[in-house]
Amino acid sequence: MHDRHDPGPPAEEHDTPAEVDAAFRTLRRVALGHVAVFTGVLAAVPLLTGALAWWSQGRLFGGMSPMFAMTAFGLYAFFFTVCLAAATLSNAVEERMLGGPGRDAPRGDGPPAA
Amino acid sequence: MSSGLLLVVLLAAVGAVAVLIRPQRASTLDFYLAGRRVGVATNACAICGDYLSAASFMGVAAAVYASGLDGMWYAAGFAAGFVPVLLFVAAPLRRFGEFSIPDFLGKRLGSDGARLTSVAVVQLVILAYLVPQAVASGIIWELAVGRGLGGLPAYTTGVLLSTAAVMLMVALGGMRGTTWTQAVQFLLLLAIFLWLVAVIAASGFSYPDALRELSSRPLANPVDDGGAWRLEPVPNRLDPGAPAFFGEPGGQYGQLEQGALIVSLAMGTAGLPHIMNRYFTSPTGTAARMTTVWVVGLAGLFYVLAGLLGIAARSIVQDASADTPWVDRLTTGGVLRVPEHAMPVLGEVFGGPAGLGAVAVGALLAVLSTIGGLLLASAASWGHDIYERYLNPRATQRQALRAGRGAVVLVAALSAALALAVPPESLSGQFPSIVATMVTWAFVLAGSALTPVFILAIWWRRTTGPGAVAGMATGTAVAVAMGAAGLLLGDAGAAQALLTPTLVSAPCAAAAAVAVSLATRPPKDVDGMWTRMHGTAADRRAVRLARLTMAGLGRRSREHRDGGRR
Repeated sequence: MHDRHDPGPPAEEHDTPAEVDAAFRTLRRVALGHVAVFTGVLAAVPLLTGALAWWSQGRLFGGMSPMFAMTAFGLYAFFFTVCLAAATLSNAVEERMLGGPGRDAPRGDGPPAA
Repeated sequence: MSSGLLLVVLLAAVGAVAVLIRPQRASTLDFYLAGRRVGVATNACAICGDYLSAASFMGVAAAVYASGLDGMWYAAGFAAGFVPVLLFVAAPLRRFGEFSIPDFLGKRLGSDGARLTSVAVVQLVILAYLVPQAVASGIIWELAVGRGLGGLPAYTTGVLLSTAAVMLMVALGGMRGTTWTQAVQFLLLLAIFLWLVAVIAASGFSYPDALRELSSRPLANPVDDGGAWRLEPVPNRLDPGAPAFFGEPGGQYGQLEQGALIVSLAMGTAGLPHIMNRYFTSPTGTAARMTTVWVVGLAGLFYVLAGLLGIAARSIVQDASADTPWVDRLTTGGVLRVPEHAMPVLGEVFGGPAGLGAVAVGALLAVLSTIGGLLLASAASWGHDIYERYLNPRATQRQALRAGRGAVVLVAALSAALALAVPPESLSGQFPSIVATMVTWAFVLAGSALTPVFILAIWWRRTTGPGAVAGMATGTAVAVAMGAAGLLLGDAGAAQALLTPTLVSAPCAAAAAVAVSLATRPPKDVDGMWTRMHGTAADRRAVRLARLTMAGLGRRSREHRDGGRR
């Protein structure tokens, strides 16, 4: 006898080219958006030195300037946040656009379950 | 002596792990990719073990020690490299499958030319990474043990023993054995850093106060003036004529050099064969993506600790040199003549000979885990992409495995021979700067030749085999030409920027790849490959199968339990 929670035999999973293309375009936007933020912040850390004396010479705590704190700690937290956000969003996009719950149900010509 | 004993025990342990975890089934999928069943956390630790070489373990703290704030950009660049990997490469690469970078490019572009060109570039990158690691293992043995075995010099003993141990681990353990040893090695490296940072803080040392004190006077480092060492102020690269300060930018780079370094390191990671091959071991594309998130977190923690140790060393060594004669002998005016001694000195000051031994073991672990990944990537490239595809297309699994193991032995022997050909006495004063420099060249080559083509092949349908060949050839040629010009210029002008030329060479490679691709015919069945690379059907199948297996196991265990009660 089958367990009530048994997921059953694997259905033939597939993606159509049109679905994949739509998901691909959305994921490309996600990647480009995040890489723009990543590049902007990475470039801003050294470039702010020329525009804002406080950035490299001010003191936050002890002898640590805002730029020092950003380079020593902040950038790593920022990289992690960008990666986590991009991964979460990309996973959600794929889940929604490819093989959602509706696709798991049997489809096609077979008779409805009794 | 305790350091030597620790190193011998370490090498024996690496060999033992290889024998214990060797794959039981003889298949190339198991040997090269651990059956594609490596979990997210394990793979993330193994990628960190693979990625964090001696350049990261000792070089980052040394760079911060010598240059202050500017020294931190090395670490930031290394960590930044995984962001493009996550955004553009990890999931599609895994979903397309295959065994290696050349295999991916060959299949995706339907081109033997792309496959063979990428094999050549991959081997160049691996050699640029492998030789300095072997050199480093010899120098670590020389520093920590100080004598050889069987009448061999200490340096030769270190190179041969470490290469033999890793060769044994990779040849017997394949990807499964390498994965587990790399993961454990990374955790040990992290533990050594955490221990040092904690004991330094527990001794009453204040990082913010030390930084304030170090930044209150101009930065000065020892220079060799015809055999007599003296302290010389470091010139400010952002403000010529002004002195540089420890906590402010300008101690090492101008803005162009800084940008060039960051781009080279950030672009290079996505083209490193030993790192990219690890993504093929993930069970799904989604797992590969989440693995990268873990890697960014773990590598970030590692580099934060390395930076803190660089700050601590600059302050503590100065005080220690005043009342510790052996530290005084290594310094001029309280500053270490070789910045890479910063980590060993901290280990000795806070842990005595055992502390020094722990740091030496950490450095050797960093080297060994990286050599393991590189050997495996090289074996996959020779064994799978050349032997199985061109030399013996009808090879049985046993023959293919033998070829893979043979490739491991040959590449290990070649790297050991090249390392032994380098006179170690000419490098010991530079270690691991030479490691960091050569590793940076590997990043430059990977980021110039492989990453642009890789990203185009994944994200642009029109990419063709001839386009990829043109891109890889152009990237390699421009990077080598600019690097050679930088070496010839020495300290002059923009030499530093020329030595990290990815800012120029990667766009050149991309432009060549696009131009030639537009002039040639794309491969057949791009739609099918696109669906495979950007679709998630295979992921869903794998997840469904895993759930079924878990459900089956759960049912069997319940039946077993119920049977036991009856």
